Amino acid sequence: MINIQDIRDTARDMLAKGEVRAVIGWRAGSRGMPAEPAVITAPEQADELVWDPTCYHNLALHLVEDRKFLAHARKTSGAPIAIVAKGCDARAVVVLMQENYFKREDVYIIGVSCEGSGVLAEWKLARHLNGAVPTAAAFAGDEFTFATAAGEKRVPARDVMADRCLECRSPFPKEHNVALGEDKTGRDLAAPFAALARFETRSEGERWEFWQRQFERCIRCFACRSVCPMCYCEECVVDSINIAVAPDTTAEEKANRIRWIERSATRSENITYHMTRAMHLAGRCVDCGECERVCPVNIPLRLLNNKMEREARERFGYEPGASIGGPSLVASFRDDDPGDFIR
Amino acid sequence: MSMEKILDKERLSDWIAALAKSGMEVNAPALEDGVWTYKPVDGAVRMDHPNTKQPPKGFAFPQREVFFSFEQIKGEAPRLKQVLPESPQRVVFGVRPCDGRGAVRMDRVFGNQVDDPYYQARRKNVAYVGLACNTAPAPTCFCKSVGGSPVSTDGLDVLLTDLGDKYFAQAVTKTGEALMAAADKLFAKASPADKKSVGKVHADALAQPQRAVKDAEAAPAKLKAAFNSPLWEELARACIGCGICTFLCPTCHCFDINDEVTGSTPMKGSRVRTWDNCQFPDFTMHSSGHNPRENTAARLRQRVCHKFQYFHENFGMLQCTGCGRCVSECPVGIDIVAVVNKVAEHVG
Repeated sequence: MINIQDIRDTARDMLAKGEVRAVIGWRAGSRGMPAEPAVITAPEQADELVWDPTCYHNLALHLVEDRKFLAHARKTSGAPIAIVAKGCDARAVVVLMQENYFKREDVYIIGVSCEGSGVLAEWKLARHLNGAVPTAAAFAGDEFTFATAAGEKRVPARDVMADRCLECRSPFPKEHNVALGEDKTGRDLAAPFAALARFETRSEGERWEFWQRQFERCIRCFACRSVCPMCYCEECVVDSINIAVAPDTTAEEKANRIRWIERSATRSENITYHMTRAMHLAGRCVDCGECERVCPVNIPLRLLNNKMEREARERFGYEPGASIGGPSLVASFRDDDPGDFIR
Repeated sequence: MSMEKILDKERLSDWIAALAKSGMEVNAPALEDGVWTYKPVDGAVRMDHPNTKQPPKGFAFPQREVFFSFEQIKGEAPRLKQVLPESPQRVVFGVRPCDGRGAVRMDRVFGNQVDDPYYQARRKNVAYVGLACNTAPAPTCFCKSVGGSPVSTDGLDVLLTDLGDKYFAQAVTKTGEALMAAADKLFAKASPADKKSVGKVHADALAQPQRAVKDAEAAPAKLKAAFNSPLWEELARACIGCGICTFLCPTCHCFDINDEVTGSTPMKGSRVRTWDNCQFPDFTMHSSGHNPRENTAARLRQRVCHKFQYFHENFGMLQCTGCGRCVSECPVGIDIVAVVNKVAEHVG
């Protein structure tokens, strides 16, 4: 069981000694729960940090934001930045380092084990609380506890845990500078790719119909892209700034810029956007499931990324986020790679 | 004296059926994919929704609409054809008071100095049948502190109040009276006891505690004073730059206009208006490449100041109606109530 004081002490100590310039962690949200990402820079802020089942966010995203901020401000990083990382967050950091987005020594990883548990799916919780509004959540072994106006409620964790956590293959942050909590990797909650396997029992026609309907519902708020640590491109294919504008760029050139995907949130444009994103995440997505969590209209985006992940695993034995020094899926080649798809 | 009647809950579906039969498109909240969404209905509906994920603003201001189509045969002048929406007569049931107040604000934007013909063509055919809030507010609700109320009739044509086994129906506009008159025999006269009950339900609803923007009246001046504050950077630190807060807002109305080319011989396509979003990096990107709102801090400031300062300067009312969607749906917990309060406190 992780003691929150250990996280706070580690953060406070490192900030006080100047070993890191900031610590990215979670603090309580303005409504109590869920927690929210926090970037703290002073030792006295360490007591704000929390660790509970609402620490959903993949904080690797904020490492990316930090690096972009430094690049835009033309600053060098100086001391490393620390990140409190769950298993999935740490895998994302590994992929980013594998892609040379930043160097290992620039990041100090305070690993936190989910200890055989995981984070909450709020939509599942609603069914257990009979209308009571939770204001705080806590880990309690195989259960989560919730503070409500009607007193404390205890719910079996596996009943309200996010699917991504039920199916997680590596809930312990293997890559770390310091790790807190026990490594309970060999847990038995749900089979890997279970949701995908259930979905694939449907016929091709049913699946196509399903996805057409889902993409019809997309409002193109781009929360899935914005929340993804792997979507770090300075210019995204969907943005209308997808043209390098120089002082001598003519109005004609601006008007005739290539737009791969129109602004209109119509089915065909939405499909192109989501397919492009899924392809760009092949071999990179670490299944943190944030895209699915944040989607305001509940499009089950994990299914798409899981499909790519399973293909990579089954065909190439590839596991994203496993090693910093290892080859990446799309930038490596082996003589025994399957080639039966080339016709 | 406005028209006030009683409708047995069992008769609600008959009213909807009568309106649908008269040729209207009737919409009501339905739970689909775990999301409360307005859907066309022709009879039975659920009216136990907290609030819909998206406000009803799309009925008058859809996310995409065509202004005109164009075609040009090489060597000839381009031919343009305006496409004004042929909007059906619509009625939307179950609109919460915060969203009714949202419609009031959208009407000001698209019908103030210049009538937007596309908006107006849809808006004149939409009627809103509201549903007063009479249960405990969501933790993200703050309508009372921005001048609204859980029982406000602003922007609505009819307000329904749940009285257990019946609704108290109050026509707010002539359109609302006509909607009720269209199924006159379904409604009963409201007795003095009914009027007393509805008064109590409304008073109870108003007494429910909510989170609050502290002294919202003072917010415009405080925000103005805080324009250059370094606080914005801190408040936006977690912002990921997605568009949830504004796309789900009942009063966000910024749009983009693009030409979508669908063929080259002859060259043809259409000019379309789509929702735009001040949280996107290309929102105010100039063609030079310069962007006056180049980071999340400047964009968060734009969103908050538009709601609580600029709109107030332009129209004499706060733009925010306190529905709380931007708070409950933000992936990283950015909370407009906390932001306004912190800025106000900072300015002092």
